[in-house]
Amino acid sequence: MAMTISDEAYRALEEAVGEENACREPAMLDSYCWQPFLNMSTDLWVQRPIAVVLPGSAEEVQEVVRVCNAHGLKFKALSTGWGAHNGPTYDNVVQIDLRRMNRIIDIDEKNMIAVVEPYVCGGELQAEVWKHGLNTHIVGAGPHCSPLAGATSMHGCGNDSIYMSTSSRNLLGVEWVLPNGEMLHLGTPGSDAGWFCGDGPGPSLRGIVRGTSGAFGGFGVFTKAALKLFNWPGPDEIDSEGLILDSTGGLPDCSLFYNCQFSREEDFIEAAYRIGEAEIGYMFVRMVTSEFVLLLMPHLFKKLVKHRAIMDLLDKTMAYPFMILLVGSTERELKYQEEMLNQIVRDCGGMAMKFNNIPPAANLMGMNLLRCTIFGTVFRSGNMFATNLDGNEALTTQTDWCSTMEKAKKRYIQSGGLLDDGSDNPYMITYENNLFGHCETIYLYDQRNPEHLESLEPLGFDTTLAAIEQCNVPLAAFEPVTRTAMSPLAGNFNRWQKEISLAFDPNGVSDTGLYTDEKEPDPEKIPAEKMEHFEWLKARFGRKG
Amino acid sequence: MSVADYREDMQGCVRCSSCKWVPFNHMKSHRFSGNCPAISRFNFHSYSGSGRMNMGLSVLEGRSELSEKVSEVVYSCQMCGACDTACKSYREIIDITEVLLELRAECVESGQLMVEHMMTLDALKRENNMLGEPKAERGAWAAGLDLKDINKEKVDVMLHVGCRFSYDPELRGSIRRAVRLLREAGLDVGTAGAEESCCGGRAFELGYRGEARNFADDMAARVKASGARYLLTPCSDGFAAFNYLYPLMGIELEAEPVHMVQLLDILISDGKLTLENPLDMRVTYHDPCHLGRMSEPYLGGWKGDKRDRLRSQSRTGRFGIYEEPRRVLGAVPGLELVEMERIKEYSWCCGAGGGVYDAFPEFATWTARERLEEATTTGASAIVTACPWCERVFTDAVGENGFEIKILDVVDVVARAVGLEEEE
Ligand SMILES: Cc1cc2nc3c(=O)[nH]c(=O)nc-3n(C[C@H](O)[C@H](O)[C@H](O)COP(=O)(O)OP(=O)(O)OC[C@H]3O[C@@H](n4cnc5c(N)ncnc54)[C@H](O)[C@@H]3O)c2cc1C
Repeated sequence: MAMTISDEAYRALEEAVGEENACREPAMLDSYCWQPFLNMSTDLWVQRPIAVVLPGSAEEVQEVVRVCNAHGLKFKALSTGWGAHNGPTYDNVVQIDLRRMNRIIDIDEKNMIAVVEPYVCGGELQAEVWKHGLNTHIVGAGPHCSPLAGATSMHGCGNDSIYMSTSSRNLLGVEWVLPNGEMLHLGTPGSDAGWFCGDGPGPSLRGIVRGTSGAFGGFGVFTKAALKLFNWPGPDEIDSEGLILDSTGGLPDCSLFYNCQFSREEDFIEAAYRIGEAEIGYMFVRMVTSEFVLLLMPHLFKKLVKHRAIMDLLDKTMAYPFMILLVGSTERELKYQEEMLNQIVRDCGGMAMKFNNIPPAANLMGMNLLRCTIFGTVFRSGNMFATNLDGNEALTTQTDWCSTMEKAKKRYIQSGGLLDDGSDNPYMITYENNLFGHCETIYLYDQRNPEHLESLEPLGFDTTLAAIEQCNVPLAAFEPVTRTAMSPLAGNFNRWQKEISLAFDPNGVSDTGLYTDEKEPDPEKIPAEKMEHFEWLKARFGRKG
Repeated sequence: MSVADYREDMQGCVRCSSCKWVPFNHMKSHRFSGNCPAISRFNFHSYSGSGRMNMGLSVLEGRSELSEKVSEVVYSCQMCGACDTACKSYREIIDITEVLLELRAECVESGQLMVEHMMTLDALKRENNMLGEPKAERGAWAAGLDLKDINKEKVDVMLHVGCRFSYDPELRGSIRRAVRLLREAGLDVGTAGAEESCCGGRAFELGYRGEARNFADDMAARVKASGARYLLTPCSDGFAAFNYLYPLMGIELEAEPVHMVQLLDILISDGKLTLENPLDMRVTYHDPCHLGRMSEPYLGGWKGDKRDRLRSQSRTGRFGIYEEPRRVLGAVPGLELVEMERIKEYSWCCGAGGGVYDAFPEFATWTARERLEEATTTGASAIVTACPWCERVFTDAVGENGFEIKILDVVDVVARAVGLEEEE
């Protein structure tokens, strides 16, 4: 439980944001603590903040940060706040909920840039930029997420990454409230030259603000960001009726949806690289057939999963499928893309199925895919899922990672620690013309089942061990135990991260729990032989100093 | 049932925030992307469907107390059901609306009450209506209409007018026109006159279970005694109570609930009402929450793990009354119906429901204002709806904020198209 905030500090917060935008009522604070997603502990409540504030402007954020500095408190910002990584990791943290900062400051059609505040969600931004013939990258988590948060603070990949890349690469100018309360504009806004570039003229600190994963709220507050937009030759709006599963609306004329299947890994990879070389494709995702059953028909899946032969039929006969959306600005361009795709798939020994003319499939893949709403259905089978992440790497690494992780999770499935999800369940997407990619293997559990919760930490540790062995990045790279393990193996990155953090945050007011903090694994939870193996790996691959 | 019975629903929340927005496939703009008035107005997560469940779980687990402030948050909600629909857009395991109803019952049980609601309940017990008006005057709206009296004779269609239409002088014209339209179509209906009393739905929504049950039992008995096959109501709150809350309470009605717009739709398509007078108007239609998603029938309590529940076994909001009013308006010659962005199962609430009109009038008008702004962007000269509570709060908000838009009931539009003469 959190300590309580002094009246003096609370009054200062109220002054910063206005009385109605500050709160310290325990039950209301607890509404910020229920965070089952990416929560690897058995208690799904994260640390309670001592207060929550709702600033309405960057200036108010600065005021809040100054109050924290003056009163020896820490702070942690959230945008939409989905996942345990939003929670405080100390007992004196003021949670900065950025919900009131939800303006789209500018859509610069000519330069293909949007400037947004943190609480603009992906769905909102997409709805607006479509009206300008533009599109915005939406992370795989879905349109609920904040494009600013993805770009500045955490991960950033999605189905459209083949065309629109990953969030960190789309980050241009940034407005940043530093941990000491000062305001810094990165890139062109730093020299009053508009928002079009993240690297100047003006301070170029994008590589400091975030690397691959981001600082998870441990490094000040990002209050505005300019994001790169992309071409969208489709309609301003797609009228669709129904909820996700009975969605209508179909695919817009500018698009074609294909599901392509390969039975051999090397053919799949070859096809993926050639698609990249041909510079075609708007969305590209590898998911196995049974995964669709799992997402869309969980009741049927529950029955099927008991029949190995059926699961094999679904997953092993055509083990390497991908779905691809082609979008063309003209009919001719679309036709070219279609012909290229068909030729590549044919050359690589695969099979291509077009969905446009099958209305139920086209309906399901229309808005659900374009707005990335369909992936929420992953919660239907188990109630909760988690993933093992890998680094952004060559495509072959991704498929290797899937087999490793399938083995790792199988042990837990067999002992009842996870739900049987039948296969490796990859979520593999590719970046920037398939030059490199990213893969997660999904596993399912029920957050209401204590046995399942008990599995999460040991499985997470197995993932870390596997990742070290394969020179990869585990999901919980942001988590202190994993960071402790990974840092010596990767140039002692955390030592430098700490130095940087300290330079910007002399009073230590940012909650750095998921950014630079370190923690040794808990021997109570991790069996001795795994700890030994871990020590051995560290000794073998690690660097001291 | 109790809050504890919904522990698994509350634990099932993954905190995705879907409950704060219209289902994403329907999002058409940044301006009108929200679906929940409370989170849109007050912003703390606790004001959302998810946040309320998180608070409920916290209280249930003894982590925090059901304080006065918590109760205020719980009641700052129109019980419009938008969060439930948005959550169900992708999964079926949580019945947020039912959790919210239980939280309110818990507030009443533990004495964390809103003073305004206590006054409403006092009035309800004293005068049998939500407005505190004298019960003897309940049937006054029907003066001169010569309606059948169900206390004296059996009827096929029993008309339950509801508290707001019975007493609100500004809305009286609409309900009288409705009866005259039915006459025009050759349909005779009966009412209980001064004996009619509140359906009890609002009391249930406020958490006053005992009182709600008394009124609901009474209603069921009156329906039975009337011999009616159909229970007709122009009140969307009442309609939702009959379809959803009564079965939830375990109360069976011996007549089929029918909303006035459903009946008008049938009478028009059967040629019993002829819409001859062209109306050169551009209108937009506001789906009342309680006619739409909240009126979707209760499908029975689910025993066991809700992951085993099929989609067809959970209320998603998709099966409310949406097409009938649109068909009726579409049948009016000359009338152009333009849609707002948030419609049907993801319609934005008018602001009046769930006791908000009584306890938080400013919040009610704020919500109504949001809707009127949305209506105004369509270029419509009138917002048409089918619920007296929506009409009331819209009328208040129009007056206070200088909107140019007119507020009409579907009945008013049909009456004009039929050429019904205005009463003196
Ligand atoms: C179910 C699920 C699936 C996911 N799948 C993907 C995926 O496919 N691809 C992918 O890239 N990511 C994925 N993620 C992670 C996701 O990228 C981020 O959660 C999301 O992009 C960030 O948006 P948000 O509004 O949810 O941010 P939040 O959840 O609000 O914040 C994310 C992190 O950033 C910090 N933060 C947020 N805003 C600010 C700010 N303005 N200033 C400083 N710190 C801030 C928070 O403290 C937190 O640590 C997934 C997450 C979930 C919950």
